[in-house]
Amino acid sequence: MNGRRSIVPLRLGEVVSSGGRLGLAIVLALTVSAGLILAAGANPIEAYAALLKGSIGSVAALANTGVRAAPLLLGGFAVGLAFKSGLWNIGGEGQIYLGATAATAVGIIPLPVPAWLHLLLAVMAGFAGGALWALIPGYLRAYRGTSEVVTTLMLNYVAGYLVSWLLHEPSPLAEKGAFFPMSPLILPSARLPILVKGTSLHAGLILAVVLGVVLHFVLRYTPFGFRTRLVGGNPEAARYAGVGVARQIFLVLLVCGGLGGLAGAGEVLGLKLRLFDYFVGGVGYEGLAVALMTKGNPLGIMLAGAFFGCLKAGASKMQIVTGIESSMALVIQGLTVLFVIAIGFGERMRITGAEMKEQVTQEDQADGD
Amino acid sequence: MHKGTRPTAARFRGGAGPGLEVQRVDQSAVVALLMVGITKRFPGVLANNNITLEVRAGEVHGLLGENGAGKTTLMNILYGLHQPDSGEIYFNGEKVEITSPRVAVDLGVGMVHQHFMLVENLSVLENVILGIPPRRPPLLELDSARDRFEKLAKRYQLVIDPSTPVWQLPVGTRQWLEILKQLFRNASLLILDEPTSVLTPSQAERLFRTVRSLVDEGRAVIFISHKLREMKEVADRVTVLRDGHVVGTVDPRETTPSELARMMVGRGVFLDRQPRPPSESEKEVLVIEGLCCDNDRGVPALRDLSLTVRAGEIVGVAGVDGNGQRELAECIVGLRRPMKGTIRINGELVTGVICDPSLLGYIPEDGRKTGLIADFTVEENLIIKTFDSPPLTQRGILQWSEIGDRANTLIRDYDIRTPHPAIPLRHLSGGNQQRVVVARELSAKPALLVASQPTRGLDVASVEAVHNALLQERNRGAAVLFISTELSEVLTLSDRIVVFLGGEIMGEVDAETADVNLIGEMMLGHRKRAETAVGVNE
Repeated sequence: MNGRRSIVPLRLGEVVSSGGRLGLAIVLALTVSAGLILAAGANPIEAYAALLKGSIGSVAALANTGVRAAPLLLGGFAVGLAFKSGLWNIGGEGQIYLGATAATAVGIIPLPVPAWLHLLLAVMAGFAGGALWALIPGYLRAYRGTSEVVTTLMLNYVAGYLVSWLLHEPSPLAEKGAFFPMSPLILPSARLPILVKGTSLHAGLILAVVLGVVLHFVLRYTPFGFRTRLVGGNPEAARYAGVGVARQIFLVLLVCGGLGGLAGAGEVLGLKLRLFDYFVGGVGYEGLAVALMTKGNPLGIMLAGAFFGCLKAGASKMQIVTGIESSMALVIQGLTVLFVIAIGFGERMRITGAEMKEQVTQEDQADGD
Repeated sequence: MHKGTRPTAARFRGGAGPGLEVQRVDQSAVVALLMVGITKRFPGVLANNNITLEVRAGEVHGLLGENGAGKTTLMNILYGLHQPDSGEIYFNGEKVEITSPRVAVDLGVGMVHQHFMLVENLSVLENVILGIPPRRPPLLELDSARDRFEKLAKRYQLVIDPSTPVWQLPVGTRQWLEILKQLFRNASLLILDEPTSVLTPSQAERLFRTVRSLVDEGRAVIFISHKLREMKEVADRVTVLRDGHVVGTVDPRETTPSELARMMVGRGVFLDRQPRPPSESEKEVLVIEGLCCDNDRGVPALRDLSLTVRAGEIVGVAGVDGNGQRELAECIVGLRRPMKGTIRINGELVTGVICDPSLLGYIPEDGRKTGLIADFTVEENLIIKTFDSPPLTQRGILQWSEIGDRANTLIRDYDIRTPHPAIPLRHLSGGNQQRVVVARELSAKPALLVASQPTRGLDVASVEAVHNALLQERNRGAAVLFISTELSEVLTLSDRIVVFLGGEIMGEVDAETADVNLIGEMMLGHRKRAETAVGVNE
């Protein structure tokens, strides 16, 4: 028997089944939403046609979808990797802010280096900024046992206000005499290249997709990834296997923060070209939804992120054609998440039911001892 | 299930009828509970096969049987947790359907589980009234309940301060509380499931006295145990179960322990030690000196313990569960930090978790908790100690084909029943999960093997597989520390036996010539006699 050959179909099966779960949830969400659209007095088929047209109907639409999806993917990885090690990184929002801030700080300074290096430095600064923001929760969780849910969530607010403060004069990050708190423009040498002329699709999407594949590889094929999953699967067993559990948790949260930071860097270096006050607007939390729907699987996150990107991109077209509020896209998003959770819950009930039966039987066999 | 051939065992076999040997005993007694022809089938197991049980008011009725004999299933049926496939239950002469624990409680059945059902953050009194509907909801009747509880406690001389939070109570007291809780609910039939497994001998003595006073008031008590001497001490009658059916009901005072044992085990007490080559090595692999260590509650679990295990011998640790065995194993493995003393393996001082699988192998008592990852595949579970060294990892990349090959080899060598190495572990049966642990820990040929209750809850075939694996390790030249609460198992496997009580070694005997009664006495704390009998050994 050859180990590798025989593993592949199972791994595929896993992906297919998680994809199937997502697909079923999407179908159910679209069905329920169709009822809502109908109730709002529009034709759901027409509305969905517009949604499709606005998201994948043309090169411009596809580009728009890609632009929307990029930060969702990176934000999703930031949550998903933590999830794999049994942690909840709710701090995507704050990490995105800090990553964007650090990237901006590097991106607006004229450096005597080639353009590619300036860009690379700005992107790396973004990673570092996000990682820095995860440093405190990471340390507290790993070495002091403080719940990372609370600390990461709270730091989101700190990050929002910190960025706001940095964008008001006399901060060096603030644009002089601006009508709205924002930074100066990112220098052309530090901008992410545009992929399709005439659209705003930037290389941030490529970065996200490549990182998704890398992350999948890391989790499956490296000792670091194995350790991460080991800690997530059973920390007690990980300790017994000689894994430094605290250290691993600390490292993982740092990397997660860095991934969130990259989402922020991509936004300012590729799309907004400035750091704005309140610019993130919930992408961090959407990343949470994307990651949880797919149990942190990087490939699944890419699928779910693409779907959310489609909804966001197609919503305005839907509004123009049918008059349905573009916030309908948010409803569909929310319903999809709910259905994924419901399906997962149903499966768990079934599994737990079966396991409980098995356990009872085993206990009965063991008869009390 | 009637497969026995020994005439001695057949003598006790009551067969299917409800009559059994009941006629032998006083007919005038009031029958509190009668279970007739109870059969319960689980997938692949006939847990209860046509069981008939009669319990009288005013008697302690022992329920004796090995692990897996069907005791717990029968009691779960009585308590409404399971529904029997067939059979009838009569309570004080009336036929009843016990469809839920609520029905059982209303009938006066009180169950003290082996694992206590107490809410640690609540006070004693709150635990007592938990689940009893108040007369004037939503107000709790704490004051009147306190009065009643205190009177009750005084009557049975089980004084507990009702306002103490339960987490502050020692284990023995928690058991009093569980019993008082049932008495508070006016239980007329009390089920005690292995009540002594958490008690010290003197606490057990006290429990027996309390149990006697309960039945003197006309209550009935079902006393579940697999310890023969307890039955002799406390029970009026004993029903012996084996393989899911009743072997017989006897008076323990008229039955010798070996007769009871034979009924319970059915094949003569299995002391068939396999022949083993003598060990020549004098090499001391594990040397423990003056070890002191607290348990999770901060109570001393090991007191100044010294122990040596040589290469090529199995040292069995006998003792009632909870006497420091678990803490000892965890200290050796490096998962628990001792307060005092030293542990050396092959001369090396243990200061933390030992990562070298060729130095130490560990089979933990709760494999699923400390040794395995349910969501990992079988092959992944097989490599959790070795995944990051060659040949499994090369140039920083996990070699899955290598890992798969290794898994297939181990699956074959250790007879792990799995359709595929990449199946999530949780789909395997308990016995096969344990084989995964055994395969992982033994495949690196460790110098020292620590096996902590490695056969707990396993089916017979898996038990045998584990036993054989341990013997093979010994014969290979490994030092083996074998911890088990099943004395018969310790006797079968060990070269030397040390007996644990309260975190101390009560004595040491040569397993080849061991006297079971002597070990039993040491387990129960009769150190003096034990020392005079074995004193030469140290």
